[in-house]
Amino acid sequence: MMRLPILSRALSIVSAAIAISTGIVVTLGFFVNFAELANLRLIFLEWAVLLAAIALLVGLVNLLRVHLNKVRDGGATAFYSFVLVVGMIATFGLGMFFGPDHPIPLWIFNNIQIPVETALMAILAVSLAYASARLLHRRATVFAVVFLVTTLFVLLGTGSYPWGEITLLVELKSWISRVPATAGARGILLGVALGTIATGLRVLMGVDRPYGG
Amino acid sequence: MLLFLGLIVGLAVFNRRRSFLALRAIPAFVKLRRAIGLAVEDGSRLHLSLGSGGVLDQRSAAAFVGLSMLRRVADITSVSDQPPIATTGEATLAILAQDTLQSAFEKMGASAQYDPTSARLTGVTPFSYAAGTLPVIADEMVSSNLLAGSFVNEAALITDASERGQNFSLAGTDDLTGQAILYASAQEPLIGEELFAGGAYLEAGALHNASLHAQDILRYLVILTILGGAVLRFLGIL
Repeated sequence: MMRLPILSRALSIVSAAIAISTGIVVTLGFFVNFAELANLRLIFLEWAVLLAAIALLVGLVNLLRVHLNKVRDGGATAFYSFVLVVGMIATFGLGMFFGPDHPIPLWIFNNIQIPVETALMAILAVSLAYASARLLHRRATVFAVVFLVTTLFVLLGTGSYPWGEITLLVELKSWISRVPATAGARGILLGVALGTIATGLRVLMGVDRPYGG
Repeated sequence: MLLFLGLIVGLAVFNRRRSFLALRAIPAFVKLRRAIGLAVEDGSRLHLSLGSGGVLDQRSAAAFVGLSMLRRVADITSVSDQPPIATTGEATLAILAQDTLQSAFEKMGASAQYDPTSARLTGVTPFSYAAGTLPVIADEMVSSNLLAGSFVNEAALITDASERGQNFSLAGTDDLTGQAILYASAQEPLIGEELFAGGAYLEAGALHNASLHAQDILRYLVILTILGGAVLRFLGIL
């Protein structure tokens, strides 16, 4: 739907005002010990959860629309899109009719969804082995060598052998996990935490407006 | 938080008056700019994968960074025949991505080019999201894949599809396991806080640069505090 520029501008300002004020109230609710503020924060969060549930339905309609377009256009992947559309409508219909805890929707989940995702996990193991093998071809750096050597030692230290475990490798793996890996992970997590705060502040200041505008 | 806020505002004012606080070079973003330029020239598409992080949980920051990068990429590629395409594994994020693209097109006066299906939810679990994203990379004339958001294991499937399509891939996540996986599988991985610098490196504005410098200053403060604590402990004072 095309929006008039003036309407778009007004929407942008109103959205920014609502987002910034709500963000400030929710943030203050965490830090300030004031009952009314805490209650208001909870109300806002409940609204957000409700809106997220509605957003899921909107997202599914969007997904359905994309694949209906693909079925209509034909092409090499139209059949897969058709299967997706039929599967989606059937699962949604059965779930709505019987309820999500009924054996039929649960059977679909346990016997289709979980095996498919497990198969993808198995493909992932192959993909990662291939990616690691190609790493030096892609980036021949000291860090890439360290990454690969560490991966190799951790794998060897984790593996089981017919003659039992190799003590040296197990101890090496344990040391890698306890010392360099933990130190590196903490450093990365500190950076991520600072980045998260910076992003939150930019949203609160209206510099980042992920709601458009 | 107040210190952070003060630093951002202070550095933004400082940068405006004397613009010499340069950003340190991150080669991944230089290559991304080149990939965006090439995509505009050859009429191919850029695909932004925004991950499965929701806007209501602790992974929201990574999702917001992805949205800011989507906005900048949409602005930069507005002259292209092929608008960028965004995929997400979280419904709220999909709606925000649609809104971001629509706003970008409206700002450029090209509202007619906006297609609501150019930002889409491809799955609601991490693996179904990755599975739904693979055909987008393979079938929709994508030449570069930018993964910016919250990913874990599923990211390897997306980068693998990118590799098979001989596409450029730049990827960053807020998750530690995801970062290790992306280090091995993406052409240009973003480590640690580099993901959160995306907006600044895509020239999203002076405040993005200021927040990045504030982040750097605070990181050095944290490092000094940790080292100081270790020294005091070694000396038996703490």
